[in-house]
Amino acid sequence: MSDAVFQETTAQPRTQSVPLAHLSLEIGHLYMEDYEAGPKRLGEHFAEVRVWADAVRASAARRGKRPRISTCFLIDDYFSRFSTPAELVPMILKEAEKAGLVIDYLARESACAVADRVELAESVMHRLVESPPPGSHGSRPPVSRTGWLANGERSPSTSRSALGAVKGWQPPQETAARNHSIFMDVELWSEKDGRRLWSCPFLAAVWQLARLGLLRHLGEPVLVPTVWAGSDFPQEWDRLPPVVKLSDTNAAFSAYRTCSLMPNRFVAVEDAVRLVLDQIDVDAGALRQVAERSAAEGMPVPAAVAQRATYVFYEEPGDSSEAEET
Amino acid sequence: MTAAPVHPARSVLACGEVRTCLLPSLQALDIRAAAQLLRLRADEPVRLSERPSMHALSPAMLTGVDCRLPSSNGSKVRGVGTVAARAALTEGRLLQATAWFSVPATGPDLRRPWGQYLVRPGLVEPFGKLPEQATADGVLRGAGRGELDLGVIAEGLLAQLRRHALLDRRVPFKSSPTRLRWVARREPAGERASLTSFTLAEAGLRTMELRLPADVPAASAAGLCEDLALHDWLLTTVQHMLDNSRLGAAGGPSVIETLQPVVVHLLHLWMPRAHVDPALAHLWDVLEERPGFSRQWENLSRRIRDRLALQAVAAPQQALSDAR
Repeated sequence: MSDAVFQETTAQPRTQSVPLAHLSLEIGHLYMEDYEAGPKRLGEHFAEVRVWADAVRASAARRGKRPRISTCFLIDDYFSRFSTPAELVPMILKEAEKAGLVIDYLARESACAVADRVELAESVMHRLVESPPPGSHGSRPPVSRTGWLANGERSPSTSRSALGAVKGWQPPQETAARNHSIFMDVELWSEKDGRRLWSCPFLAAVWQLARLGLLRHLGEPVLVPTVWAGSDFPQEWDRLPPVVKLSDTNAAFSAYRTCSLMPNRFVAVEDAVRLVLDQIDVDAGALRQVAERSAAEGMPVPAAVAQRATYVFYEEPGDSSEAEET
Repeated sequence: MTAAPVHPARSVLACGEVRTCLLPSLQALDIRAAAQLLRLRADEPVRLSERPSMHALSPAMLTGVDCRLPSSNGSKVRGVGTVAARAALTEGRLLQATAWFSVPATGPDLRRPWGQYLVRPGLVEPFGKLPEQATADGVLRGAGRGELDLGVIAEGLLAQLRRHALLDRRVPFKSSPTRLRWVARREPAGERASLTSFTLAEAGLRTMELRLPADVPAASAAGLCEDLALHDWLLTTVQHMLDNSRLGAAGGPSVIETLQPVVVHLLHLWMPRAHVDPALAHLWDVLEERPGFSRQWENLSRRIRDRLALQAVAAPQQALSDAR
């Protein structure tokens, strides 16, 4: 087609490529209460994270010499708002530095819902292609309308059996079960006062796609990091750009693979993230670019997107819940 | 994980179904409205083309399937993967939906993690060996109960679009939708694509068989089939309108009322090969040779213009005789 004399730009889809590091390393994903507990607690988190971050770097070095690794940190400003960027960001940076960690990129969780007036979560939701249980021949609705996404078939509802004999309980069935099912049903959003509240696993799935360089809007990159030149951070979260570049690293924000270091209470959330990632039909152009470039660098990515994300779940420093109860 | 490694499976067969109908809207949509109608995803653009005719193409949407593949001989082969579907709007007037998938010759005997299917959109893998001939014939015959149903997927997309708020759900004239089912056998890359059959069956059903080189994407075959289905729909619809033997007779429908919509809405839509992959454009030649699609269209257009001209001549005389 390229040798044609006549072309129309609107007729040819085009996906812009993004710079890609080898690994995007997330060095913390905390809730507001973790910040409320003060700098000491944050410091303990980072001290623990530092150990695992070194291990992850050592692992990456086995894959290739001079790995390009960028670090990132996500602040939850979506579910609750605490303090201001002007107060909180310097504290985070200082505590990380004390532990010998550098945060290259800082992102706001609400940016995974809407960033630069683009409804990212909404777009990703439209890309859900549910894993079909056996027997699906095309008549199932293509996208979940319920706000829930499962890894199999739910238990049939018992309220319908009023007509005939009452049927006993039927178990749910995981589609890809090995011998026995581990059935999971994930709430993607809830509605309150006509406003949609995206769930933490769904936003985290968007976050993973961004870090994997697989998000585009009409072919253009989204969540492009803004270099933060000023020293003072704003007084309002909304005035902080969605993703801020804080260091002078050459490693790009997005990468072939991701590794996330987080407290072990996030296991369920991240399992849900994998369930979501496994059912997203990501931008084909972006997918191809990542596959080709990673292969050209001799480190081909796993074909399935969910397989590109790894995790380290560490024990939380101190037990905050016990501390609160006493 | 001990999942089977993903190797790019080479497909041996591509199958699809195109449904063609008049857009349920009194006015044809302009290009902006067409883009709005076909924007099935917020983050992916609609492909728009204004030359040589206005054509809008939606992004392809996937439907997950896990069921028996269509079969003509009762072979029960399970297939898992995704079926691609897209919609096209030509001159803001003719709406089409196509569903298609490709199949490799063999597949693993177990279901893989779903994410591995999603990274190969439009591919359905058989469990074990694909009964190629039986599947191809099965697709052309139509899905049996519980078999992968391309028609249901295409119709589902059409139904979704017909409900769009942009449409007033009124039509300027009556017409019937058509279905075109197609199968394409894969040939080695570099071979020349060919059309092996095009069959007019009853009740608006057409079937088509192709040979498609490995380097031509299945979406291009879908594009060719959309183009042929569109022109076949035009011939079928206009022929049907002219075939009404009572047209213009006393008590029958008026010539002007019947044929005026054809002139307004359809005559300018004839534009073979307009949006077809150049690697497949020559397949039109076979149909131009026999039965001669364009020849028939010229003939129909001439008949319409002649009927309208006669009417124009007759009308003043009628008026004169009425005045006497």
